[in-house]
Amino acid sequence: MRSEFERRHPGVRIQIENIPGEGQYVPKLLMMFVAKKAPDVMHLDASYASVFIDNDLLLDLTPEIKSDDSFRLDDYFTNVVDVARRGDKLFAIPLDFTPIVLYYNKRLFDEAKVAYPAKGWNCDDFLAKAKALTIDNHKEPGKKQYGMHFINWMPLWIPWVWTEGGDVLSPDGRHAEGYFDSDKTIRAVEFLASLITKYHVAPTHSEAAAAGVDLFRAGRAAMHIAGHWMIIDYRSDGIDFGVAMLPTNAASPKTVVYESGLAINRSTKKRELAWEYVKFMTSAEVQKVRVSGGLAISAQKEVAQYYASDEQERTFLNAVEFASGPWGARVEPYAVVEDLGREMMEDIVNGTPVPDAVHKTCRLIDLELSQQ
Amino acid sequence: MKTARPMSVAGYLFVGPAMLYLGVFTLLPMVVAAYLSVHRWHLLKPDRPFVGWDNYRRLLEDPFFVNAIRNTVVFTALSVPLGIAIALAAAVLLNRGLPGIRVFRTIFYVPSVCSQVALSMIWIWVTLPHVGFVNWLVGSANALLGTSFATDVNYLQRFPMISVVLLFIWNGLGPRMVIFLAGLQNIPETLYEAARVDGASGWQRFRYVTLPLLMPTTFFIVVTTTIAALQIFTPIYVMTQGGPNRATDVVVFHIYKEAWHKFHIGQASAMSYVLFSIILTISLLQFWAMKRRSDMIAESA
Repeated sequence: MRSEFERRHPGVRIQIENIPGEGQYVPKLLMMFVAKKAPDVMHLDASYASVFIDNDLLLDLTPEIKSDDSFRLDDYFTNVVDVARRGDKLFAIPLDFTPIVLYYNKRLFDEAKVAYPAKGWNCDDFLAKAKALTIDNHKEPGKKQYGMHFINWMPLWIPWVWTEGGDVLSPDGRHAEGYFDSDKTIRAVEFLASLITKYHVAPTHSEAAAAGVDLFRAGRAAMHIAGHWMIIDYRSDGIDFGVAMLPTNAASPKTVVYESGLAINRSTKKRELAWEYVKFMTSAEVQKVRVSGGLAISAQKEVAQYYASDEQERTFLNAVEFASGPWGARVEPYAVVEDLGREMMEDIVNGTPVPDAVHKTCRLIDLELSQQ
Repeated sequence: MKTARPMSVAGYLFVGPAMLYLGVFTLLPMVVAAYLSVHRWHLLKPDRPFVGWDNYRRLLEDPFFVNAIRNTVVFTALSVPLGIAIALAAAVLLNRGLPGIRVFRTIFYVPSVCSQVALSMIWIWVTLPHVGFVNWLVGSANALLGTSFATDVNYLQRFPMISVVLLFIWNGLGPRMVIFLAGLQNIPETLYEAARVDGASGWQRFRYVTLPLLMPTTFFIVVTTTIAALQIFTPIYVMTQGGPNRATDVVVFHIYKEAWHKFHIGQASAMSYVLFSIILTISLLQFWAMKRRSDMIAESA
């Protein structure tokens, strides 16, 4: 695709710089900005977008969009576009995205004679199903089947907090007090933790680690919360799976959407060309090829529809309507907050009472935010 | 007097490159870090005000920094005595005129030639559940003895600190052992003969001849190993990332995260100075103890 762009723009050479290593992309890219060696165009992920947007490193793309008749922002999912928005400024054009959804293993549901998740199901329905799908294996305790596979990674469990009406931060993103320690958040965390500690329908971290396999993929967990990226593995494993929205206790379901877009360096010397490249890469033509692997869903409505051939894919698209971007797109030190959330959950599973752990973490989050 | 000048020029020429290196890569960064540590210096924020001791004061309120100090102290207290005792034992074992002894010396030294990252990767594998080396050993023992000990233990998760301590000991065994060997070979054989004539047992010869005469060597190793332990980073970064739940979050790793995950350069510099003071204090104490000891020996002689 790069060579296609080069072919259409004679004399232009696109140099791709990959940054390997988990967690290395943001520090490396920031250092390139500090050294004034940052690229003209870069990937911007929702989960850390704020670090770049709120430090004034990116170009507001609104003038480009307004003056370019060949570009229509309406072609993209609005909820996905808005992740990189600040008021009337827009800092990235989305490439692709995934809402976080619930996967379920149809075979395990059928075997346990449990009905598949229905539209508008709530947390009680979920718990009842999870209990029915949990099978203790007395001969081999290590081979127990779980109702749900739980991964203690805050980006995956934040929708549970939202669905109870709780949240992590105040709407302006400045503090956690009154939100993270609200009754609703505590109730959500209590529910999540009880799946592991009280009902044992989900494995503890060490139980999951000791299994040595992905419990859902191994057919030993009936449900799993994840994004579109897992679909590749599930399909290649030949798992007969369904996709559902997370259960909800609120009026309408809620989830989080993670997106990845292209942004332009504010101090680029090739503004027009950079915009051409962003437009090209996010165009329907290129997107059709880019997302064919199945890692994520194209942010172009047309392309997304093109691939939404089955029920699973359609559930993902329907989820967009109920999805909002992560705090990381709006709050700079949010990666630290997510670490604190993971540690809190670990403490709770290890026996710390939920209210104590939540209040302690709430204080730590506010301490962190005050240092900005 | 006349010959002194060209001599000193030659001397400066010889130490020049080393001094330049020390200046550019150690002294200058130290001065810069001192400056940073009294400023609020976010990597990306143009506003970088002078805040005096504020960065240091905040460290006292930071439960995670206190936790990092505690972890570092525990790590050092475990790894230094054990690491030195094992290195000394290995050196004594290898300080014998057996045929092929050089092969063993080389084998013991190999881990120190490897990159710490590679060693850490191996160590992760050693501690893995099911497929890891330790669990394989347990499994083999089960098969042999008919026992049924668990083989699904994730040792790195269960005993994170011990795992890293063992790696540190293994990794540093080579150089410590070689220095001990050099020290051992400097002890004149005649002293052992004299001791033997006096009827000293093997343990007594070790206790009253080897150990005292090895004191300068031991002192050097204690000081360098302590400093290395207080600055442990690579294995933590590769193996645990400070986890699980900050159980292995040591000071240098904490500094790294403060600087490159949170971009609080000023705060991270303050942490570096706190660590520097701790290391300096401990080293001075060690020097003082050593001097006191040699003074006492000189007096009694």
